[in-house]
Amino acid sequence: MNLTDSPQAPRLTVEDLSVHYGGVCAVSNIGFTVEPGGSVGIIGANGAGKTSTLKALMGLVPRSSGRISLGDQDLSRTKARDMVRHGIGYVPEGRHIFPGLPVDKNLLLGAYARAWNKGTHQQLDEIYDLFPVLGEMRHRLAGALSGGQQQMLAMGRALMSSPRLLVLDEPSMGLSPKLVGSILDVLLKLREDGLSLLLVEQNAKLTFGVTSHCIVMENGEAVMDGSSAALSRDPRVREVYLGL
Amino acid sequence: MQDTFQTLVSGLSLGAVYALVAMGFSLVYRTMGLVNFAHADIAMIGAYAASTFYLTSKLPFAVAMIVAILVTGAIGLVIERVLRPLENKDFDLMLIGTIGFGIVLQAVAILIWGTTGRAVPSPLASAPLDVFGIRIRPYDLLVMGVAALAVVALSFFLSRTKRGAAMQAVAMDHEAATAVGIDVGRSNALAFAIGAGLAALAGGLVGPMLYVDASLGGALGIKGFAAAMLGGFGSINGAVVGGIAIGVLDSYAAGHFQGYSVLVTFLLFTVAIMIRPTGIFGERTVSRA
Repeated sequence: MNLTDSPQAPRLTVEDLSVHYGGVCAVSNIGFTVEPGGSVGIIGANGAGKTSTLKALMGLVPRSSGRISLGDQDLSRTKARDMVRHGIGYVPEGRHIFPGLPVDKNLLLGAYARAWNKGTHQQLDEIYDLFPVLGEMRHRLAGALSGGQQQMLAMGRALMSSPRLLVLDEPSMGLSPKLVGSILDVLLKLREDGLSLLLVEQNAKLTFGVTSHCIVMENGEAVMDGSSAALSRDPRVREVYLGL
Repeated sequence: MQDTFQTLVSGLSLGAVYALVAMGFSLVYRTMGLVNFAHADIAMIGAYAASTFYLTSKLPFAVAMIVAILVTGAIGLVIERVLRPLENKDFDLMLIGTIGFGIVLQAVAILIWGTTGRAVPSPLASAPLDVFGIRIRPYDLLVMGVAALAVVALSFFLSRTKRGAAMQAVAMDHEAATAVGIDVGRSNALAFAIGAGLAALAGGLVGPMLYVDASLGGALGIKGFAAAMLGGFGSINGAVVGGIAIGVLDSYAAGHFQGYSVLVTFLLFTVAIMIRPTGIFGERTVSRA
């Protein structure tokens, strides 16, 4: 078994997605597609609506409107707990690991939607190959890991579900530049292996390095949209998000 | 010295019952962050159900206990299902809902079994064993043995099974648990059912030790709650240690202070909680903020 040997994800299409918290509009009519094996990034400042967009996509917050489809499957009404069964793995903002459980149990729970068998344990070994530090700490409580290790654990847990599309919310948050580099290497490897990626980040440099297409969000709206290469050359993006 | 050990034995068997009640409180708390105030009355229903199946239906005691556990497990499922819409919406109302269910269960018990109560004969009628001058009732050994088995089974379930791990994951991070595909509602329902089953086990076992009536839940519940707090609310190991501590303390207080025994027990409990508010095994808090 290979971490990314699942069939490639069909095209993810998000149309007119909106999210309201009470009377406040957090996301307004966002739309994008993630092509099979493609990688899309969403960048923006704090409060731009990036996380709300991902949470609404995953069904973790109510969607005010919008249509979500994966290939010919309509996921607009799919419950959050069933998204993983459609091949969508989710790495939440702030890691959200299970702190009181050991590393190996955290990873196994990533494969909760499937039966735990020999194949699951082979997959566990593949995660340890990808993140050797997790293998060394497999019996340690997840809450005792460093921030970077917890991020690796959150990614490993999502990969344990054999996703066809990996949705990541700010995986570089709070990490040192060296660890951000490690995360970048892993994401590039996953992309090369054919996994579709949807990456939300404040770190525009990381996002442009991993994704082929990018959306810039401000105040809940997509204000720019284009290839990552083109956006990375845009003067406004360079000034606001790359500090150049 | 002999008196001391005699009191210890009595305290241990009663403590085993309090530990079972405390385990039920803790299991639901660590899973949902909810104190199930109906828990004590579920234990009372368990005591009545076990005694009815044992005395009226003439089922063997063990079978009567199993049926009582199934009945209360079903009650636990109903309570969770009714309260489920309030989860993540109005937690205070959910808490009050459990109090309401407790009142309903007391009323149902009075309707079915009346107000007089009943004494339940011990299923093990043999004479006390004499161990180095300490008289030990075989039924006390049975209670301790069954409670120990329940602790081992629950620990095994939580630490070694997929569903047990999922239940702990729900307790630690509701959203992340959902994202990995865990049905949080079903996990909570299972926690409620197991908690109710533990309450019935405690109620059924205590039947031959105490008098079974509608107020039994209050007596068991307050000490089971204190045991859970003393051990560290949410900790299964803490529930066991807390239960035994309260049982032994209760037994010593009854032996030395007679009419003031409850006062002495709870004074000492209060001092212990003031010294260590999180209980002996700390606290696995579940933030509802």
